[in-house]
Amino acid sequence: MSNDVYVIGVGMHPFSKMCPSTRDMAFNAGTAAMEDAGIKFKDVGYLYNGYIGGMMLEGISYAKDFGLTNVPVVHVENASATGSTAFREAVNAVKAGEAEIAMALGFDDMMKMGMQMAQMMMGQEPKIEQIVLPAGFFAMWAVRRMHEHGTTVETFAKIAAKNWNHARFNPMAQRQAKEEVTPEEVLASRMIAYPHTSKMSCGAGGGAACAIVATEAVAKKLANGRPLVKVAGSQMKSEHYTEGHVFLGAVVGPGELTQVTSQALYEESGIGPNDVSLVHVHDAFPIEELMYYELMGFCEEGEGDSLVEKGETTIGGRIPFSTDGGLIARGHPGGPTGLAQIWDITQQLRGESGKRQVEGAKVGIAHMMGAGSICVMNMLQRV
Amino acid sequence: MAYKPLEEGYFVIKDEDQPVLIGSYSPSADKYYYPIRKLCPVTSEPVEDAELPTEGELYSWTYIEMPMMGAMPMGDQKGHGVGQIDLPNGVRIQSIIKGVQGDWEIGMKMRLALLPIKERGSNVMCSYCFEPVTD
Repeated sequence: MSNDVYVIGVGMHPFSKMCPSTRDMAFNAGTAAMEDAGIKFKDVGYLYNGYIGGMMLEGISYAKDFGLTNVPVVHVENASATGSTAFREAVNAVKAGEAEIAMALGFDDMMKMGMQMAQMMMGQEPKIEQIVLPAGFFAMWAVRRMHEHGTTVETFAKIAAKNWNHARFNPMAQRQAKEEVTPEEVLASRMIAYPHTSKMSCGAGGGAACAIVATEAVAKKLANGRPLVKVAGSQMKSEHYTEGHVFLGAVVGPGELTQVTSQALYEESGIGPNDVSLVHVHDAFPIEELMYYELMGFCEEGEGDSLVEKGETTIGGRIPFSTDGGLIARGHPGGPTGLAQIWDITQQLRGESGKRQVEGAKVGIAHMMGAGSICVMNMLQRV
Repeated sequence: MAYKPLEEGYFVIKDEDQPVLIGSYSPSADKYYYPIRKLCPVTSEPVEDAELPTEGELYSWTYIEMPMMGAMPMGDQKGHGVGQIDLPNGVRIQSIIKGVQGDWEIGMKMRLALLPIKERGSNVMCSYCFEPVTD
């Protein structure tokens, strides 16, 4: 019997700055995913809750809103890669035969989390181990990139504008501009950390997202005429030592971490970058997306700028990136972010994405970095 | 007023208020690391404490448009610089850097300096930063 695992349902509560309680958002996303899959909570054999903020036991407590079914419930936390890790754990539970159906549910509210952290740190002395703000860390990637490859601030602005414009057609996105966003507007927005402006930086917000996976037999039974979406690969790597390794203050490890993880993903799935239809990455800032074009093998080192110039990573281009707006515009609440990527890729592979549809989408990759650091990549394939 | 490290285990203050970072040396890998490691990250073999060079080259930088948390103000700056500095023994340090945007260029020489954080009794508690070498 096949050991393959399939995505059978996805659901979201919209990402936004002003949102209801994480409990309500988690319930909404979970219910939407179960409706999408055509199942009830009693059918779920394993639940992985992904959240960074919140209180101890929140996940298990929220699960009771769906029903009391003896289901095993696990809290997963891996910084920004929390949702991606929860998804991977759900896939592994099905693959291992622990459950026929497993649910990964991510929720967070960065606005509340930010206030809690500020209160906690008020009056406390700074710590030497304290990391620099992610905006500062990735800005240093950008300045080095400009030095080594002559990348311009206009290129960063074009990537950000592209993602803002992708988000215009995503009803779940936090930033939904009424008019097309231009690179000039992106450049004119408030400077955060040179060369990154506010419109280049992922905004803080809240939200929830859910994905349900199952065995092939269950997926076929519930397909109801829709294409099946198979999990073609799932990989996770932490750092290994590289030249110039930064141990103190780094947000994430060297870029090489993405390279190693993507190579493992391509080997596991037997699918290379030439056969991928769309990609989601940890684009908290445009320098990241630019670097990942190259590190994931979609072009040679130093050629990412050319991909942007030719519009190849826009919907309609050769390899669209961040088709739902990415972290920059769809938003990045934390726990649900990686699952929002799965939500978009699943809809893309089913052909349900409306104005943001990538024509003929067959394979999608979801990539997230988690501070600490960790890289998680999941690959979905229409079969 | 005497300068004292804000936290033990990261640096010491030598003569003329010169800070010196304390890292690890791995004989099995012949590599240096910062901050102190429990074991060598490459070989998982034991490491020794080692004082690190106080000068290096600026690898990258940025200027964050918000104040440093908890730090004494450096002039009337609204933000602060952050940089990565490559030491001659292969260690890359990420740290606050003194100055404002326009003061820094990749490849320039940088030197370790004290960064006063707060007064505690008769002491000034310090972290560290790097500043451009002008002499």
